[in-house]
Amino acid sequence: MGFSLTGTQVIFFVASVIIASAVSGVFIVVINDVSNSLSERGERVQDQLDYEFAIINDPNNIPSEGSNYLFYLKNIGGKKISTTNSTFTIFIDGELVAVANYNFSDNSINPDEVTTMYIVTSEIDAGDSTLRVVGPRDIDDEFTFTI
Amino acid sequence: MGLSLVAATAIVGIAVLVSIELIVGTTIPTLTDFHDSYDDMKDRSIEKVQTDITITNVAWSDPNMVITVNNTGTETINTSYCNILFDGSSKTFTCSVFNIYPEKTALFNVQERANPGDIIKIITPNGVSDYYTV
Repeated sequence: MGFSLTGTQVIFFVASVIIASAVSGVFIVVINDVSNSLSERGERVQDQLDYEFAIINDPNNIPSEGSNYLFYLKNIGGKKISTTNSTFTIFIDGELVAVANYNFSDNSINPDEVTTMYIVTSEIDAGDSTLRVVGPRDIDDEFTFTI
Repeated sequence: MGLSLVAATAIVGIAVLVSIELIVGTTIPTLTDFHDSYDDMKDRSIEKVQTDITITNVAWSDPNMVITVNNTGTETINTSYCNILFDGSSKTFTCSVFNIYPEKTALFNVQERANPGDIIKIITPNGVSDYYTV
């Protein structure tokens, strides 16, 4: 009887340790995932605050070169911006411009620097148009101009 | 039973402490970085509001087009990162000074002649601009 009581206590002890360890393990893993996600979310928000750019063209004089219109994109934020077709999306009057129809003179621009954005002339009709440039982390700038 | 409870409580307690350390260890640096970025953005916004320039004169002085720019804001302007557009096209330039302090004037030299009626636009590093019709 005495032995079985001790055995029962040992079984209870081991079981409680196993259950507590399992619960603790799951708890730590979940908390770790949550804190990692929070950290990543924080970085994205931080990027949104750091990224800022502006199209600095004269709206009444859009220069052209060959079969492209030239738009000047200036980094007025606090972080280097990658300027590629995959990081930027362009809309003219709400219509998405095909990736093949625009490109940049530089792969990236540091704060205060300017890059030239080439957009194929066939994408833009004569008259007033609105260019919307969407960059990394959904930061965007709109520019209304006349051709 | 008592010992089992103590052991389980100790294990869960350690897990809670580890979790708190995990949360604090990642949240505080994230919040600090976020705060820094927010401060930078706030500073940029304030600088932009306080920046202003006026093109007071444009004259041809062979071989340069000399553009006189007055800093009418309260922020110092770094001329290295300014941009000049002649009728929409970006031009390279030299400037008489590295910084234009508030209420001071700088001369920008462009080795290209602007024609009468051309519009000159100067853009400061933070995107503030002024126009001048030749």
